[in-house]
Amino acid sequence: MLLNQLNSKTVDDIDIGYWELKDNEDMFWSEVFLSNLKYTEEGVKISLDFFLNNLIHKVDYELFKNNFFSFVKNGTDFRQSMLIKSSKGKYKEFVCNTTNNGTLKLNKDSKFIFFNKRKFKTSKKLTKNKFYYKETAAMTKTGSWYIDFNKQKSYWDQQTRRILGYPEDYLPSLKNSQKYYPLEYQEIAKKIFFECAIDGKKFDTEIKMLSKNGHSFWVRAIGRPVFDIHKNIIGIRGVFQDIDITKEKELSLQRTSNIVASQNKRLFNFAHIVSHNLRSHTSNLSLVSELISSFEDPEEKLSLLDNIKDIAKSLNDTIEHLNEVVTIQTSINKSKSKVCFDDVLNQVIGSIGQIIAKENTTINANFSKLEYINYIPAYLESIFLNLITNAIKYRHPDRSPVITITSKIENTKQILEISDNGVGIDMEKFGDKIFGMYKTFHYNKDATGIGLFITKNQIEALNGSISVSSKVNFGSTFKIQF
Amino acid sequence: MNTTLVNLACIIDDDNIYVSLIKKIIKAKNLCSELLIFNNGQQSMTYFEDLSNTLSNNEIPEIIFLDLNMPIMDGWEFLEKFSKIKDELKKEISLYVVSSSINPSDMNRAKSSPTVKDYLVKPVHVKDLETIFMRKAV
Repeated sequence: MLLNQLNSKTVDDIDIGYWELKDNEDMFWSEVFLSNLKYTEEGVKISLDFFLNNLIHKVDYELFKNNFFSFVKNGTDFRQSMLIKSSKGKYKEFVCNTTNNGTLKLNKDSKFIFFNKRKFKTSKKLTKNKFYYKETAAMTKTGSWYIDFNKQKSYWDQQTRRILGYPEDYLPSLKNSQKYYPLEYQEIAKKIFFECAIDGKKFDTEIKMLSKNGHSFWVRAIGRPVFDIHKNIIGIRGVFQDIDITKEKELSLQRTSNIVASQNKRLFNFAHIVSHNLRSHTSNLSLVSELISSFEDPEEKLSLLDNIKDIAKSLNDTIEHLNEVVTIQTSINKSKSKVCFDDVLNQVIGSIGQIIAKENTTINANFSKLEYINYIPAYLESIFLNLITNAIKYRHPDRSPVITITSKIENTKQILEISDNGVGIDMEKFGDKIFGMYKTFHYNKDATGIGLFITKNQIEALNGSISVSSKVNFGSTFKIQF
Repeated sequence: MNTTLVNLACIIDDDNIYVSLIKKIIKAKNLCSELLIFNNGQQSMTYFEDLSNTLSNNEIPEIIFLDLNMPIMDGWEFLEKFSKIKDELKKEISLYVVSSSINPSDMNRAKSSPTVKDYLVKPVHVKDLETIFMRKAV
């Protein structure tokens, strides 16, 4: 007590009010602190709660609370200006700080917070501005932060804590700062901060962050290096803005635009197919009619009937194929359901059992890593059917077909792989044409060049993709990403 | 007319209906005595490569009708390969590209090849065929 009084005298001498925080969590408010505000010990309750609820201006409430706790728990020094209500109901401005400038003799077992009366009043405008800044920060969800390289510490303002879902007294970790980013963005985050710290490269980028409860969301991260007088980089200062809602909207717009683009591409293809494939039939038809009128011999005229039959048949086939393509475009909205790979495969094997048995086909399937997908059942059936019959159709003449089918998850994507040991496809020559309509690559009378075209269209209509890798005489592997 | 205009002509096309119709015209109009028919570029290329080795003159066609869209080896690839060996064939060969494609870029590409005499859009007309064979016969 005596010591305290002694101390208080020392400090009181220079007209600075202070709080003494003892390690038993008691606190003491100095006489000057009270008299500066025209209070007496009777008029106040000396506690943090009382101060926060009754004395400090609401504009400064958050920051002070935050600073206070950081100081008490971790000894993080701070300095802030604030408005405190006097007994007359008027707010007075103080600069509050925790660093003892060394001239004061203080009790080493306690912590001290000093409240200096502001000599020159900050203009009201500035206080108002500060309020506006805070409002702006809150409304735009923008939090600021600072990384101090010398102290090896990061500092967050309340808004940053709020954005990332951490409590107000949370102290950010610099060492484990990668935990604020989802796994797939940690390298990127590391790179931009590293480049800023080493090369002084400013950044302004969009990146995903991870909140305390594990929710990942988009932020705009802006940062720039902080230099000391010798132009050494001593820290990075910046802001995080929560842009999750707008970014998701942007991404969804991008997705929609991609869908439109791919549909447009299919439509363009379709128009090309119509003009090209239908043209070959109509030109044959007009050639026949020309011949009918130019031939004089009735026998010869009659013989052309067979040609007309053939043309009618192939025209019909083409129209049917085109119809199949159109059906894909219009049935995208067909309901998807949970489809079991094994069930669909068995169904397909059942329907083409004869072909499979005739060629001594072995089918090895492993769906243990991914048993179900959400898909249009008829499409999955068609995909299996096309790829399996293809594998059998283009089997190697020297061996029985072996087809290996595996489902799995790769980088969060659902994958199906179908490999065969068939004749393979010359990828260099036909790589880009494999999935084209009426493209065939082998001497095979059954080749119609429609199966893979339909398969690709079905997969793409549901926003998936299909690719192929192949080696002549070894076999092919089709990889589908759903 | 007992004698034909041209001795040997060649059709490279995978459209069997088209091929059979052309055959009929050639036969009815007595345009040429013998026809070589191939379903794709690969088959015809094998034939011509053999020919360039053996050099038997009467097996070289005087006219070739080449389709563009074909499996295995398409018309473009055939053109490229054929251009390299045609000088070894000791005969003046008139090669016509015959396609249902009305795409101007296909037409220009074909016409810009020195190997290609002309580009015919399907359907071909009886008169056009006659003209081609007659021109060759002169």
